[in-house]
Amino acid sequence: MRALLLALLLTTPAAADTAEAVHDQIRPGYAAFAEAAQALAALDSCDPDQLRPAFHAAYDAWLSVGHLHLGPAEDEGRSLAIHFWPDPKGLGRKAQSALLTGDPAALQPQAFRQQSVAARGLPALERLLYPAEPLPADACPLIKATAADLSDMTGDLASAWGPFGDLLLTAGEPGNTSFLSAAEARQALFTQFAGGLEHIADNRLGRPLGTFDKPRPELAEARASERSLRNVTLSLKALRSLALALNPTIPKTEATFDQAIALADTLDDPTLAGVADPQTRLKVEILQQAVRATRQAAIAELAAALGVTLGFNSQDGD
Amino acid sequence: MRSLLAPLLLTGALATPALAVTPDEVVETYADIALATYEDSLTTAKTLQVAVAALVANPSDETLAAAKTAWLAARVPYQQSEAFRFGNPVVDDWEGRVNAWPLDEGLIDYTSADYGNEENALATLNVIATPKFTLSGTEIDATTITPDLIARTLHEADGIEANVASGYHAIEFLLWGQDLNGTGPGAGSRPYTDFALGDACTGGNCDRRAAYLQAATDLLVADLQEMVGAWSEGGAGRSAVTADPKAGLLAALTGMGTLSYGELGGERMKLGLMLNDPEEEHDCFSDNTHNSHYYDGLGIRNVYFGQYTRVDGTKVEGPSLSALVPAVDPAIDAQLKAELDASVAALGAVKAAGDAGQTFDTLIAPGNAEGETLILTTVTALVTQTVSIDRAVTALGLTKVEFEGSDSLDNPGAVFQ
Repeated sequence: MRALLLALLLTTPAAADTAEAVHDQIRPGYAAFAEAAQALAALDSCDPDQLRPAFHAAYDAWLSVGHLHLGPAEDEGRSLAIHFWPDPKGLGRKAQSALLTGDPAALQPQAFRQQSVAARGLPALERLLYPAEPLPADACPLIKATAADLSDMTGDLASAWGPFGDLLLTAGEPGNTSFLSAAEARQALFTQFAGGLEHIADNRLGRPLGTFDKPRPELAEARASERSLRNVTLSLKALRSLALALNPTIPKTEATFDQAIALADTLDDPTLAGVADPQTRLKVEILQQAVRATRQAAIAELAAALGVTLGFNSQDGD
Repeated sequence: MRSLLAPLLLTGALATPALAVTPDEVVETYADIALATYEDSLTTAKTLQVAVAALVANPSDETLAAAKTAWLAARVPYQQSEAFRFGNPVVDDWEGRVNAWPLDEGLIDYTSADYGNEENALATLNVIATPKFTLSGTEIDATTITPDLIARTLHEADGIEANVASGYHAIEFLLWGQDLNGTGPGAGSRPYTDFALGDACTGGNCDRRAAYLQAATDLLVADLQEMVGAWSEGGAGRSAVTADPKAGLLAALTGMGTLSYGELGGERMKLGLMLNDPEEEHDCFSDNTHNSHYYDGLGIRNVYFGQYTRVDGTKVEGPSLSALVPAVDPAIDAQLKAELDASVAALGAVKAAGDAGQTFDTLIAPGNAEGETLILTTVTALVTQTVSIDRAVTALGLTKVEFEGSDSLDNPGAVFQ
């Protein structure tokens, strides 16, 4: 009897942690993102006012999965093409100007897919829907091409998470060479989770913060569409859900998350422009510290609960 | 049966000759290879310094070509040293001074008329043509171009990383000039007369250009000297890995994995391809990127195998991870060894293409299907080996969690007790 029980335990295909994350968070997240991107692409208009609500809905949906730089998001550079940011050399604007005034053949779906990732995805759409200065040509064809391309990519992503999710769910089973144990699958997800928090602290908050002497409000993410803070809040909430799916008993992590989210909620500064003012800057710094504290708490608590360490991440490097 | 089996397995493991290798010895080799690699980087940079002095003293096609050759030779050991970067804060904190990239080169010297970066007001400052300017509200007197001016005032000016004023790529720009061929063949083609005095001078301010080149080269030599010190007996880099061999092993594997995946496979190869931007190649002025990538890959392999071939052909080798890992998991070791060989071979194919004229900027041209395949095959090889490096970390009982999560690295693991 004991042997039988033991055998049953050992052959359980996937622990609830990975399964819950895949079933309850990741797959529904990608499905919702694909749906929102399709809705945006389906709008028969080029009027920014008409398109903006659907643009925001798609951007919101992306934030629930945008921290996942593994599997289908890494294939074909989709992650880069959906959200190429930061863009320190302003390549997106440059590439889009060329597309706006160039051969319209480049806007056909097959050709558009080959364009620079800096000219594709959500930040590219943002530059067309919230132009800083008048665009050099009618943006309508490029808006339609960019939205259609985004819709195609998100559809591909949602489909590909079927088989890729199965790989995570069957970790350790014979024939699964991607994940040799359930722990490897857990570690893969945990690594993405931790990377997501690092990205919020270092880039979403760190870039506009700059230094005290040289704050850089103009470097905030999605500033034109006034989503900088919203991106922080929504990705914190998404990462909190992912953590709890991986393990529901993480009180310290949960508490630090709640504190960070509360700080973000009370920050009345959509573009994080307050980083330039010594008074309000402090609030953004405190939020950044809270995000870092959340990461530390999760690394201490969640990694131990999952029996994993931090793996390598495609976002590592400089 | 169980009680019989366990001692048998243990005996088997003990009988493996690899167990003669200890973590202490492995990190000693690691530090020795780091030292040798930085020593070679220093000596080749000093050769470059001599060649630059000859160019400045007597500008000609020959002296410019000789300086370029010296720069290319200096990249061979330096790129192999990049495997030491990510695992060791002493290297990572210093690296931006010597190998920062990509750069807004218009900060330093003249560029084509269409050059600029909307996110960087200093992208077209052109210090060589501008002895006095205002930087973040401060008047700067750059009448005399010194290593100190480059390091303290110009480098990362305004807190912008693209303001790269020092290191290999700044020197590369001064020797080659902007590569105006886009994703087509051909590198930068700065004429030697950009360093000529009097009426022969082209590009303006030749004396200041020569001064900048010499100051940047002197600075590189000084910076490399510092890193040789860090890996010599008693240096901070060596001490950090030898004082705690487990932390040292983790540093070695972290450096291998991060360079393989996020940096070389990601930032430098895949991203370049996805952006189709010729400025997104690592050595974009000289079109030497195929070599830089190859020697990065070789450096990763050096760390695992505990072997480094110096520029004079002599070998530095010793007890290595490749002897330690099989003692705990022979399958991971065998796979990783094969994968390291495969990635070096894939990078070798990119290098061969470059040597034959298909340089990296032409490989990332839109619509170059062959180039895309060559790059993506290499990226896949680098990503694949990262998975095994991750598995080696786990097999050795190492964890980045303690490293990140607490101040103490002194948490005994099961493997080396």
